[in-house]
Amino acid sequence: MGIKKFIKKVHHTLKLKDVEIENKKESLKDLLMKLNKRKKVIKKSLKKSLESKEEKELNEELDIICLQLKKGKKILHKLYTDTNKNNTI
Amino acid sequence: MFILNSYKSLFAPVVILLLLGALLLLGLYPDISMILGGIALFLIGMEYMEGGFKAFSGGILEKVLERSTNSTPKAITTGFLATAIVQSSSLISIIVISFLSAELITLTSAVGVIFGSNIGTTATAWLVSVFGLKIKISVYAMPMIVLGIFMPLFLKSNSWKGIASIFIGLGIIFLGIGYMKEGFETLKDGINLAQYAMAGYAGIFTYVLVGSVATVVIQSSSATMAIIITALATGQIDYANALALAIGANVGTTVTAVLGALKSNENGKRLAVAHFIFNITTGLIAVAFIYQLADLVDYLAVYVGIGIANYTMKLALFHTIFNIIGVLAVSPFIGILVKYLKTLFIPKGVNQGKPKYLDDTALVLPSTALSAIIMETKHLYENAFEIISHGLNLKQSNITSSIPLDDVIKDSYSKNPVDIDTFYNYKIKGIYGEIIDFSTKAQSHMSMEDIEVLYGLKLANRDLVEAVKDTKHLQKNLVKYSQSTNKHIRKQYNHIKKDLAELLRTIHIVSNTKEEDILLLLLSKAKVHTKKYDILANGTLDKLIRESLITNEMATSLMNDSAYAYDISKNLIAMAETIFTDRSTNTASINEEMAMDDEDVKEILEKKDD
Repeated sequence: MGIKKFIKKVHHTLKLKDVEIENKKESLKDLLMKLNKRKKVIKKSLKKSLESKEEKELNEELDIICLQLKKGKKILHKLYTDTNKNNTI
Repeated sequence: MFILNSYKSLFAPVVILLLLGALLLLGLYPDISMILGGIALFLIGMEYMEGGFKAFSGGILEKVLERSTNSTPKAITTGFLATAIVQSSSLISIIVISFLSAELITLTSAVGVIFGSNIGTTATAWLVSVFGLKIKISVYAMPMIVLGIFMPLFLKSNSWKGIASIFIGLGIIFLGIGYMKEGFETLKDGINLAQYAMAGYAGIFTYVLVGSVATVVIQSSSATMAIIITALATGQIDYANALALAIGANVGTTVTAVLGALKSNENGKRLAVAHFIFNITTGLIAVAFIYQLADLVDYLAVYVGIGIANYTMKLALFHTIFNIIGVLAVSPFIGILVKYLKTLFIPKGVNQGKPKYLDDTALVLPSTALSAIIMETKHLYENAFEIISHGLNLKQSNITSSIPLDDVIKDSYSKNPVDIDTFYNYKIKGIYGEIIDFSTKAQSHMSMEDIEVLYGLKLANRDLVEAVKDTKHLQKNLVKYSQSTNKHIRKQYNHIKKDLAELLRTIHIVSNTKEEDILLLLLSKAKVHTKKYDILANGTLDKLIRESLITNEMATSLMNDSAYAYDISKNLIAMAETIFTDRSTNTASINEEMAMDDEDVKEILEKKDD
């Protein structure tokens, strides 16, 4: 076994890189939860009768949040895929 | 103990002198040579350990110190635990001073940490007396050093490299203790230092003086304690005299602190005074009640399982007890002490154009250097915010309020345009230059990851400076056309003003929020608005020209100025994304990935058009 492969195996056995990724996953999940909460609040507000300016602003915020949620989920999915890939090596 | 920058400059000469001494005496007095070599190794080991903790903590130590010092008992406990674990009060002191400079902790908390740190340093005495003498500690030295050398081959992260340095440091310290012990043991066969033992208060004062001088010369009370304990273990000094030497080591360290503080900033000087007062008071109490304290140690020793003849552990207990008594005696007066300290070393006049947070003490750790640069960039942003608001002829207080933006732009700051050049030279140029200079110095001790963060901060500073410069270009026509008789051009310039006021308000909110989702949403919204309001892109300018609503001269000015406004917005948003994201958590990297790019903005705008 070459030295590089040995080092890689030590990394894998001791799960040395996992802590950082797990923390990132947790923070991202937390952020997505907050964004989801905000999305629900905006949707609720939009059901009420609003001035057109206010409605426009809320719709804009909703669009942005939806896009951020989409982006966040994509990043989270990638993090999980990377972890699974590492675990199957 | 409280050893600042001067310690670093004296460390190498002290070690070289010790090694030279060891070499010169090798033939004639091999035992003394061994002791000197042991002390040198001990000091080198301490240096390795300190460096290791700097790298290993990777900001954890700083976070703990920042968050667990909001009350005096907490500050004392944190100072005690941090120093006992790190085994370096100088490292804790340096972090505390840099935090104080960055206003991350109060002077009262800083004094509390320093008091606690004094108790923490007694851990060295326990380490030496418990492990260093009972077992042949040098046996463990080599495996630890070897482990420390090979570890970075497998684990390349900075934290692991730090742990490797701690292993090497501990190994070298163990080796040093082993040599000192062996040296004193063989010295006993030739010279018996115990014959110089002195009884009564004459002996106490003499040995307090010897302990002080030794600490001043060696520049480390921990090393002095290690010598005292090993000498006591081999019977080279009397127990009563060892107690006096320990008090002397505590007093001697204040001289080092005061010498170190001469080069330090006002915060360093204030803390050195606090430390001086604390140690002298503790020393006086210990000398006055030395016999009673010795009796107390004998009494307590039975309860903690220390044998009556185990003088080395009794010395460690004495060292801890008199430092705890010192803290108990001085802590009720912390309020008065802090009040007094605040009257000392007051900087001559606060100048908005001078850096507030860039202090050389912060350069010691990459994390404190980055904190200082972030704080200073925020200071620069505050100045830039003021200049940009006034440059747009808006009142800063109106922007930061909840007044409708239409009313904000109607309430002018001044009848005459402000001179942005003067403001720039006074409030921006100097600080910007100092930040760049400080960053260059800080970079030399940083890892690649830290350098990347630093690069982002430098860009944020450049963005701020560019935004101020663009405001200067924009100002001329803004003043002229926002009062023009042509209602179309007036409307466009008032739009520019309103859009920038909205952005400044958004960034002000972002600067005060800790909620990551709000920060992300507001900055994304600002990006969408910047693009939406760009009249070159949204066709407004074409329409005005096509319908001959404005002259050619007006059109050219509007085209240039809307480009300036667009650049100001882009620069301010980029700056805000960098400096207002919480870097103490890993959300910083998430926010970077989640930040909206041009494609995302386009997607949102196209959705709106549908």
